[in-house]
Amino acid sequence: MRTLTTITFLLSSACAWAVDSPISGDVSANCSIYTTTPGEYGNPNPYTLSTAAASGGSDPIVRVDIGSAGYWKTKFTYPNSFSSSPVLVDNLTFTGTVTVSSVSVASMSVYESNKVSVANTVTYDHTIAGSSWHKITSQVTYGSADNTAFPAGSYTALVTISCIAK
Amino acid sequence: MYSKISVIFFALTLSAQAHDMTPAYPEFRPSYIVGVSKTKMHLFNKRNDANFFEISVYDEVWKSIPFASTNKIIEVRHTKKKSFDVYIKDEDLDRVTYICTKSKLLKQKNVPLIATEICSKVK
Repeated sequence: MRTLTTITFLLSSACAWAVDSPISGDVSANCSIYTTTPGEYGNPNPYTLSTAAASGGSDPIVRVDIGSAGYWKTKFTYPNSFSSSPVLVDNLTFTGTVTVSSVSVASMSVYESNKVSVANTVTYDHTIAGSSWHKITSQVTYGSADNTAFPAGSYTALVTISCIAK
Repeated sequence: MYSKISVIFFALTLSAQAHDMTPAYPEFRPSYIVGVSKTKMHLFNKRNDANFFEISVYDEVWKSIPFASTNKIIEVRHTKKKSFDVYIKDEDLDRVTYICTKSKLLKQKNVPLIATEICSKVK
């Protein structure tokens, strides 16, 4: 009886099926935009809104992942108007910057010197595969003499980041 | 104490949100409608603050080109993938250069919102 059990066990284990279970995937020349820090305006005085940490704000930081070198450029547009706000009767002055704050490959340091700035748009040519982090700053002052208080209410401004295939 | 802070910091850094679209270089093929070509695009949404994306089609100088799709604004939930077809009249095929998707955001208080846009280039 014991011999029969052993034979049965051996036969059953010998008959086990080996099934391949492939995991497939493609690596395409893709670009991903990650919003690592959403950003927030601080209100350091009655007539200023600023994303600077010193003003109680937080600068938005975006990570761009490039899968293949030389296929993509990115375009960052910092705000030059509010997308929504209370009624404003005086002048608004928007300023902003976009800088490369960190890179995954040392040679990406050329991105900052090679960037092209036109009005409130900054364009980077992603010639190296990998990740780069971009910090956007935005500041708004209200009133032509910088002494008019912002009316109370909610203010929203839009930063647009575009990844464009070359 | 420090390890707890490190874990929280690590968890926060993992909360990055992404917008991704493929292929980078789509090709149009004839559709089942005479005189109309189509291409298939795939959108992946890892942004938990955006569930809607607007499709646009442009020529070389960023002038809009008429197109058809299931919807011009599509809903893609967080961590979901969605495929969509873009239909173009054959007479516009020579002009079509970019197919873009742009995130649509909800208003928030005193926050500079980040809209992300990916533009693929038509071969």
